[in-house]
Amino acid sequence: MTTVLVFFFILGGMALLGSVGTVASRNVVHAALSLVLALLAVAGLFILLLAEFLAIVQVLIYGGAITIILLFALMLTRTREGPVRLDNAQRRFALIGAGAAFAVLTVVIMVSDWPAPIDNPVRPGFSRISEVLFQQWAIPFEAASLVLLVALIGAIVISRPEKGERD
Amino acid sequence: MFPADLYLLMPELALAGMAIIVILADLVLKRRDLLAPLSLIGLAVPVALSIVLWLKLDSIDPHALSGFSGFFVVDYFSLFFKFLILGATALVIMASRESVTRFSRFQGEYYALIMMASGGMMLMAAATELVSIYVALELSALSTVALIALLKNSRSIEASMKFLILSAISSAVMLYGMALVFGLTGSTRLLDIADRLTSVSELIDQPALLLGVIFIITGFGFKISSVPFQMWVPDVYEGAPTPVAAYLSVASKAAGFAVIIRVFFLAFGSLTDEWALLFAVLAAVSMFIGNLVAIAQKNIKRMLGYSTIAHAGFIMVGLAAIGREGELLGPGVESILFYLVAYAATNLGAFIAVIAISSKINSELIDDYAGVARRNPFLAFALAVSLVSLMGLPPTAGFWAKLNVFNAAIETDLVWLALIGMINSVISAYFYLRVIKTMYLSPPASEERITADLPLKAALAIAVIGLLFIGIVPGFVMDVVETAVGTLA
Amino acid sequence: MLADYGYIGIYLLLATLIPVSMLLIPWALSFVGVKPHNPTPVKLETYESGMRTIGGSWIRFNFRYYYFALLFVIFDVEVVFLFPWAVYLDKLKLFGLIEMGIFILILMVGYAYAWRKKALEWS
Repeated sequence: MTTVLVFFFILGGMALLGSVGTVASRNVVHAALSLVLALLAVAGLFILLLAEFLAIVQVLIYGGAITIILLFALMLTRTREGPVRLDNAQRRFALIGAGAAFAVLTVVIMVSDWPAPIDNPVRPGFSRISEVLFQQWAIPFEAASLVLLVALIGAIVISRPEKGERD
Repeated sequence: MFPADLYLLMPELALAGMAIIVILADLVLKRRDLLAPLSLIGLAVPVALSIVLWLKLDSIDPHALSGFSGFFVVDYFSLFFKFLILGATALVIMASRESVTRFSRFQGEYYALIMMASGGMMLMAAATELVSIYVALELSALSTVALIALLKNSRSIEASMKFLILSAISSAVMLYGMALVFGLTGSTRLLDIADRLTSVSELIDQPALLLGVIFIITGFGFKISSVPFQMWVPDVYEGAPTPVAAYLSVASKAAGFAVIIRVFFLAFGSLTDEWALLFAVLAAVSMFIGNLVAIAQKNIKRMLGYSTIAHAGFIMVGLAAIGREGELLGPGVESILFYLVAYAATNLGAFIAVIAISSKINSELIDDYAGVARRNPFLAFALAVSLVSLMGLPPTAGFWAKLNVFNAAIETDLVWLALIGMINSVISAYFYLRVIKTMYLSPPASEERITADLPLKAALAIAVIGLLFIGIVPGFVMDVVETAVGTLA
Repeated sequence: MLADYGYIGIYLLLATLIPVSMLLIPWALSFVGVKPHNPTPVKLETYESGMRTIGGSWIRFNFRYYYFALLFVIFDVEVVFLFPWAVYLDKLKLFGLIEMGIFILILMVGYAYAWRKKALEWS
């Protein structure tokens, strides 16, 4: 148990570091790369919880695809040379808001009695996940493909240049 | 077991299938003008299938069919919302012939996305499981994002981005809430959650449960445009193509309330003390903010945007007006469903008239509506009747809708909320009447006649006749509503 | 079973150590005086395939890259679903095949849409 705890603190620290870097970094590319660190550390935390499928999803979708689209978006929308300041005078309020949310969530989660066993997570295994995902959750699963289709159409509609506008 | 359940979701599947056919037709066909009729035919299929399901429900007892391991249910309640959403979608499509010419490149996308959004909303009303609800909600939300951006001018894109970001935040908060509830009860199925909450008594007192419920309200509050999740409404109503705004105000709100009723009355029925008061406060604040800010609006679409916030407040009075222990599904829920039908007819009437008038006079400013009554008496009359119904005066649907809601509030000892509602009805009369006054009493800027195409006039006539019919014979809709609520438990 | 991930941990550790040591060793050697230090302007230039560098690196890229990133995300999600599906297909039988077929078919509609709307062209 203690080794798990050690890894938990390492991974948790990485996630925290990455998250702080994402919001506090002055350089938008550094912020994006910090986000990668945070996302991958969360994948590690999923592994500690024996949720391997989630860890794979986290690495493939978030660490891979989402990060790529994020970096592309930065490359495509750059209008000025060099790093641009990302924050403004509201950062103080953002800090207070985030701190308050953190405090409330922490207190509430610590105070509540959770019926689920936290010390011994059960390992669902791939076939169990497939069983429920493709049988019980079949309709939400198919609906998810519609969501992806709509997202694709929507993104193309929004980003297509007007006629006459230069590519 | 599983494929055999598919017939339960035939309307949704048919609608999604028709939306895909519209996309493919748009890719293949050269003639864009065929898309609107194709979409309307596409809407007829799920309507027919819903009627078939309704008839099937009549022949069985109890009148509900649950399927897909209890994730989706077909009962009068879900069918009621299917008809409401499909009807609203059909009227909006009929009224968009003129509007789509402003984004003629995206006609196929417009019809397909609006059908996809409706499919998502119908799924929302039928879902009895949290993850299914979330996916359905996202399907309708993402379609809406694209629909808002169709005009491709800076206002439209800005509105779309605001909607996207706020919708993503509210979804994230809602998912957090669902995760908390799942962690405590061990299930995402609404009925299982209810069972756990009643059988394990100490669960009720967990602060995490209360937080989860509040977080879930955030996600749904965004959908129904309740305060404090209403910031997107005025910008989106102003920036989006007008038919999209009309669609959002009616269909999205109906689907949102359908989900709220299912989740809160079925799953969290044992927590009514906590959330009923919360909804009462949100209702009061929504009414005040919506109506007071609407007074200051010069743009009619913005005014209708604030008006829709206020009406979300009026409808939420019904949520707060829950019955005593053991009979939760009392007059409050019935008044919500009635209000939603009345509001659909009324607000679609108002919006369709605005589509027709604004596209011809090329302005959305209320001042430019001067003398519209002389330039097209039918449009002016339709808009006037719709606004009267929004005010809640007889002999229109809005009168009975408000009467039912306030009545439910008084019956459940919420006299203060009913009083706030009445005060707000009086406030709202000011800005609705101002539009009517401008149309009828101010001199027109030009004598040129305002014309409208036939499908739009037909849609407008249906909406106005509907709201007058409900206003004169409220019993018919009331009966349907009682049937719908009757099968909910 | 969690210990199995120790191998991945060792691998990650090695993968981090090698590049870090490649940076640290020359830096450490410079103290001993083994590493020569003789910078010239040419040496300090950015290396770009032996060509002279032109312009800054903070330029705006062609927005069409975005469509590829987008398609990548969508098909990445599809692939993630394929993993558990493939593991369990022998139990799901025909139903699973049809289910995934519909899922992919719907995404293919999106692909056809992007293709026909010329989102994939580099004109």
